[in-house]
Amino acid sequence: MLTLAFDTATEVATSALVDEGEVLGERVSSTRTLLEDVDALLRQGGARPGDLRALAVGIGPGSFTGVRIGLAAARGLALALDLRGAGVSTLDALAAGAPGAVPVVDARRREVFTLVDGEPAVLAPADIDVREGTLYVGGGDRRYRAELEARGALIPPDGDERHLPCARFHAALARELVPVDEIEPLYLRAPDAKERAR
Amino acid sequence: MILGIETSCDETAAALVTAGGDIRASVVSSQADLHARYGGVVPEVASRRHLELVAPVVRDALSEAGATLDDVDTVAVTQGPGLIGALLVGLAAAKAIAWSRRLPLVPVDHLRGHVASLYLGPDALEPPFLCLLASGGHTMLLDVRGYGEEAVLGTTLDDAAGEAFDKGARLLGLGYPGGRELDLLARDGDPTAYAFPVARVPGLDFSFSGLKTALLYATRDLSEDELAARRADLAASYQRAIVRALVARVREAAGGKRTAVVGGVAANSELRASLPDAALAPLALCTDNAAMIASAARFTEAVPYPAYLGLDAYASR
Ligand SMILES: [Zn+2]
Repeated sequence: MLTLAFDTATEVATSALVDEGEVLGERVSSTRTLLEDVDALLRQGGARPGDLRALAVGIGPGSFTGVRIGLAAARGLALALDLRGAGVSTLDALAAGAPGAVPVVDARRREVFTLVDGEPAVLAPADIDVREGTLYVGGGDRRYRAELEARGALIPPDGDERHLPCARFHAALARELVPVDEIEPLYLRAPDAKERAR
Repeated sequence: MILGIETSCDETAAALVTAGGDIRASVVSSQADLHARYGGVVPEVASRRHLELVAPVVRDALSEAGATLDDVDTVAVTQGPGLIGALLVGLAAAKAIAWSRRLPLVPVDHLRGHVASLYLGPDALEPPFLCLLASGGHTMLLDVRGYGEEAVLGTTLDDAAGEAFDKGARLLGLGYPGGRELDLLARDGDPTAYAFPVARVPGLDFSFSGLKTALLYATRDLSEDELAARRADLAASYQRAIVRALVARVREAAGGKRTAVVGGVAANSELRASLPDAALAPLALCTDNAAMIASAARFTEAVPYPAYLGLDAYASR
């Protein structure tokens, strides 16, 4: 089953074309040019859009705008190609790419997205329950490297590929396929807006 | 047919328009209710809603037209100006649809889209003409020389006309967006009861922020009962001041040319009555919609596959 996977929730856009577990291609670019990558992946794989059978799309948490661009593209593809898909947490994909590691994604405003007991959460770096000798990956750990390392965290060097989600893992984690319109973003934060007293 | 998609502010819209300018379907899902409790459009709230609505409005447009994507030969989408996060949702979806079908994509300027609302339907207007574009986000005088050929003669230095209406409505306790309510209320009031000044700015530009301040001063010392008693007069006087400013500029700039009004403020009854000779888009096409975006695409060069895949949106011109 030819599956297109991508995730634009973090600082990069990752995309992969996977067929029955075999990775036919994988690319990294920016969110704006996600579909250029998708186009290149299909051309390299000798496939046409109509050959796609499923989507695996990152739902965050991460940049709100980034998450939406990925999901909007997925919804457009699903509508035009009559595809179903699976939403995959960006944190789960990071964890799948670095077994044993805890994913930590920068959430701005001095906070990070991470997994707490397997559940996605947004919290201050100081509130991460750092287990000494445990590996932390995902970019958010890099930003707060000094703070986390002082508490015993192991953090790969900045350029280590484990810091970035890889779409092949989204494809691997995509299990149940649903209508793509039902795949919801994982924001973890309410919009910044005050209700006006009337 | 052209599939148009518009997500620049707080309306999620899709439309199908023929090459000849016939509207086969125009679906607009307004978020106004969603933003009412915030007293204005909250960009993050708008962007979230666009993502939920973008595929459903396209599907609704197709079914309203009794068409499928097989009938679509071009995809058009608003590229800017507008809320960047909102624009990016529509652009990503439009790129994906176009790419899936190997269709060309037309990135459309939202303001040019408003002008192109006049090129739709049986009573389509032909350039040249002078166009007032007045909405919640923009107030501009455009010299429309040809299809897709517009020169900006004047623009607002501060608030947009529609914004002035909405802010005035809020000061009068009419909720958000209150332009329409203010228009209705003004019908019961005396437009000469208050002399609200409209700033004279050089050239053909506009300024409405002083007017809003004048209304604030006029209302803030009134008790609730007094305000209730004078609300209609205030609304009528305030509306007259805005409309007079708009009409004066249109007359100055027209110089005998035909005139047209587009944008949400074109729905205002006093403005319509004050410019009896102006061409006006149907009300449904005055506020943001995707038919006007598809219409503008008829006069804009399409970007072929795969050149459009890297296109970006822009927040301002
Ligand atoms: Zn508009």
